[in-house]
Amino acid sequence: MTFLWVTLKDLRLHARDFRFLATLGLFSLSLVLILSFAFGPIFQEPAREASATLWASLFFAGILGLTRALDLESESGGGDAVRLAGADPYSVYLGKTVSSFLLLGALFCLVLPCAAVFFDVGNLAVLPQVAGVAALALIGYAAWGTLFAALARGLKARELLLSVLLFPTLIPIWIGAVKLTHSLWADGTIEPVRDWLKIMAVMDVLGLAMAAWLFEVVQEAGE
Amino acid sequence: MKTIPKWWTVTGTALWTASLALVAVSVWLVVTRAPIEQQMGVAQKIFYIHVPSAIATVIAFGLTFAASIAYLSTRNWAWDAVAVSSCEVGMVFATVVLLSGPLWARSSWNTWWTWEPRLTSFLVMWILYGGYHIVRHSVAAGSRREVSAVLGTVLIVTYPITLMSVHWWRGSLHPKNVMMTSDMRGILLVSMAAWILFYLAALQQRLRIEILREASNEADG
Amino acid sequence: MLLVGANGSGKTTLARIMSTMLRADRGSLTLNGDPVEKRLIQSRRAIGFASHRPFLYMGLTPIENLEFFGRLSGLKDARARASRQLDRFGMTPFANTPVDRFSRGMLQRVALLRALQGEPSVLLLDEPYAGLDDDGTATLNAFLEEARNRGTATLVISHDRDRVAPLRPRVCAMRAGTVEDRP
Repeated sequence: MTFLWVTLKDLRLHARDFRFLATLGLFSLSLVLILSFAFGPIFQEPAREASATLWASLFFAGILGLTRALDLESESGGGDAVRLAGADPYSVYLGKTVSSFLLLGALFCLVLPCAAVFFDVGNLAVLPQVAGVAALALIGYAAWGTLFAALARGLKARELLLSVLLFPTLIPIWIGAVKLTHSLWADGTIEPVRDWLKIMAVMDVLGLAMAAWLFEVVQEAGE
Repeated sequence: MKTIPKWWTVTGTALWTASLALVAVSVWLVVTRAPIEQQMGVAQKIFYIHVPSAIATVIAFGLTFAASIAYLSTRNWAWDAVAVSSCEVGMVFATVVLLSGPLWARSSWNTWWTWEPRLTSFLVMWILYGGYHIVRHSVAAGSRREVSAVLGTVLIVTYPITLMSVHWWRGSLHPKNVMMTSDMRGILLVSMAAWILFYLAALQQRLRIEILREASNEADG
Repeated sequence: MLLVGANGSGKTTLARIMSTMLRADRGSLTLNGDPVEKRLIQSRRAIGFASHRPFLYMGLTPIENLEFFGRLSGLKDARARASRQLDRFGMTPFANTPVDRFSRGMLQRVALLRALQGEPSVLLLDEPYAGLDDDGTATLNAFLEEARNRGTATLVISHDRDRVAPLRPRVCAMRAGTVEDRP
């Protein structure tokens, strides 16, 4: 149950850092606003523009969340202490992935209604499916993001490097998320783009499997 | 191997001589003997550098992956040297693919670039392997090899996506198979041999730098 | 053992290598005859390390920090143990205050408890007395005496010989990266 303790620890730390949470929230909303202005004021294809806005905002806001989680480990040596305590590396990875997923999920819950309202799309009937797509996308984001964030710790300009590495790797997940959300908002079904579910699921499993194999090496590579 | 033995230098000379000679032969064949394709005309001859460069890229990044795994298993510096050298040479070939492709695309599809699956996935692969070098040079020396090996292993996910993109996604403009005459096939094979030999020569030369660097670190350390 | 030496002689680096935080360029590290790398997790659970950095999460309270690290080390009664130890160090009134509000001395007490809590078989303490008042020093020395009676191997790095003196340690000196016995 080590991973649950790691998740709980991360969630406690995030919950007590209200200033960061507020900043993250405002940053996400600003991105939604900027993209709304870029696409508007008359939206040619609201469903497509809304889904692009939603996922673009989530990606960049998520980078901030991942780097903040990294910072919490390196300030005052908490992350080193976790290694010194003899914790199983994959449990630590899982715990951080779960907490990142929950943080990203909270961001999604904030950004989704804003995108839906600004672009006047979506309906409650497809909300469970949209949530399912989001879960699939955010599991992959958290899985790959936690691995790459651990790699990038200690690097200068790590937010930039994280974006350079993470975004290309996540392209299959992100394209899938955009296409599936667009299809749900435009047609109320995922049938035309159903194959993307498989691609996203494969990427999620690959991310978790790669971390199982490599996270210990990444964790020990700091010294 | 911490110094450059004589056989390494001799092999390098032989590889460069053979590869440059074969490149010269392949260029001559392409210019003088390769038939001019009916629809695309002379621009189709880009094919004889574009395809071999893509093959060399696949080999180079595949070796990076294998060497990265070998490094993680053995922690032998030589595997790290192979991984980074192959990745660097592979980046050169990948750049050639990305530069030669649009020349062909312009005459074939009437556009320099399109966001079709093969082009997009190859560009993503190029960005990621470029990121490998940026990260490698940004990280502290003590963890450089481990971080590079992890990246070299993880980035293999781009492989199946790039290779299979024309089969997995509808709407791919990239041809799955190319119809060729026997002349074209023969010249293509010579070009492939030439550029793969060139890759091996460049890899061997780049490895030499890593060997000298390791020897210098040992002398300082 | 008390390890003394001039600044820059390598005492902290040695402690970091022995704690497995840092990998040595040459040589090997063994614990009970086994190379540490072969059983890294078990070796780390057997080593308690405190250094200049607190190795704590600043947004958590002392009880939360200690319970978390205790759980990671496999201690089932981590919370109860943490409560008792905080009480010994006089920290009970502050047990539920996030440590980012603590003074240097209070932070040092919690950092030391993190290293001591699992009753490790090896203790590595780098400048443990920094920031501690007389009460804190006496409590730490009591912990170290108990550890010695349990058979724990303890290495203390300190410039403050007077505070370590009651423990009657063996003294060694570090000079330019080499440990020398000094009677």
